[in-house]
Amino acid sequence: MDRLVRAVAAVVRCSARLLADDRRDWAHALLAETDEVATAPSARLAWLAGGLWLVAREIVVYRVVPVLAFVAGAVGLVWIGWPGASTNSATPANRMYVVGTLVLLAGLPVLVRRFAGPVRRGWAPSAARLGGYTVVLALVAAVDVKHRIGSQHGAYFPVVGGVWAMYVGFLLILAGHVAGLLILTSRRIRVSRGVLPAALGAAALIAAVLYLLAPYGIDAAIERATGDWGQATVPDYLLLGCFALAALAVPVAVHAVTIRLADNDGRPGVLAPARQAVLATTCAMAVAAMLVAVLTSLTIALRPGDVPRQPAGDGICHNCEPPTIVVPSNLRQEYQAESDVAHAGGSTLLALLVVPLVGAAIAAGRAGANGSRRPGGPFH
Amino acid sequence: MAPRARFSVQTLSVLAALEADPSAWLHGYAIAKQTGLASGTLYPILIRLADRRLIEARWEDEQPAGRPRRHLYRLTGEGLVAARTALSAAARRRRPATGRTAQGRLAAEGGA
Repeated sequence: MDRLVRAVAAVVRCSARLLADDRRDWAHALLAETDEVATAPSARLAWLAGGLWLVAREIVVYRVVPVLAFVAGAVGLVWIGWPGASTNSATPANRMYVVGTLVLLAGLPVLVRRFAGPVRRGWAPSAARLGGYTVVLALVAAVDVKHRIGSQHGAYFPVVGGVWAMYVGFLLILAGHVAGLLILTSRRIRVSRGVLPAALGAAALIAAVLYLLAPYGIDAAIERATGDWGQATVPDYLLLGCFALAALAVPVAVHAVTIRLADNDGRPGVLAPARQAVLATTCAMAVAAMLVAVLTSLTIALRPGDVPRQPAGDGICHNCEPPTIVVPSNLRQEYQAESDVAHAGGSTLLALLVVPLVGAAIAAGRAGANGSRRPGGPFH
Repeated sequence: MAPRARFSVQTLSVLAALEADPSAWLHGYAIAKQTGLASGTLYPILIRLADRRLIEARWEDEQPAGRPRRHLYRLTGEGLVAARTALSAAARRRRPATGRTAQGRLAAEGGA
């Protein structure tokens, strides 16, 4: 029986090496107590069985499940994003998105961990990371499908270098969002209770409203309002007004709620209220932009036939020297329909860059204004 | 701001054991003996409480003769507030029905 006790203790000790540093301490704590347990070997065995359960549970929850979830997501993205005919001009960019997204999703946690520490303990930060990764994977998969549908006739117009810079730029914007998610859920960032749920709740609410107002994006309304595509109507201006109002109202509301929650939190180690407000506001705007982008892109990818149509163009490549007709006249309608799908929702992707910066600027501006009235400056 | 007290009966029994002498550092087996919890139940509770910063943990400073150093636990300031709030809420819930204190009830349920 003693031999069995020693064997189980050895198994607990060895398997504890698979745990994160801070979790390993708990397994060692339990092992250290084994000698204190009543001399009956069965009691020690029961105590160690608890240790085995503890270690197994921690390994499954914090090692196995995240890895399996990531592998499942990666397989799903490859399955959706990788296929594509060689004649489809979107295929190389789609594959670059798949590889780039998987590399940044796998690599960024390692990089961020060096500066911001591991994921904060508890179910909420892990769930936030899982949800964030799912949204990013869904967005890239939807964008890939949208581009594939929109490029079936191939590229009649020459692909300029700037297009590839735009593709890389999209990946960099995604990297920024993922890095923000990882930093906000890391152990070194401590914010007051309720701040992040409030920010996420506001983001989800406003994203749902904006998506319902324009499920295929606001590109058509923008083009009509700027005179590029037909005449703008009152609903176009109302729609654009709603989006602009949301971009201004959400940061102000989230900032006010965060300051109120943070001012009531005197715990040591929690960030200063103004810093929390900037973080929460940027987070809310980034999440709202991401949700609108993913919902819009998914809608376009799943229902490409309902995307607002532009009249077919003249098929002339104006950037060519000399300008020449590159789209045969019998294909112009189809080509335009595809092009409309490929470009629909483009503004929601651009918003992924602009909207969080607007949120950060408004929050920083309000922090500066409030701080000038407080002793010690805004971030103290 | 005190956290909302939503604890299981087992967690309450651990909080009660630690709250009995908030300044004392207790080791895992002592808490297990007081609460009657098995190690597989006790340690996940301690981990959760530490994650929520309701308890603090440290290893014994010096190596004692004849046994390994122990991991010791006690309530943080925030944990003490949360424990007292939760225990008094549990006592209020149970007193009308049984007339017993929370700790007495916990003991009867296999706790302290």
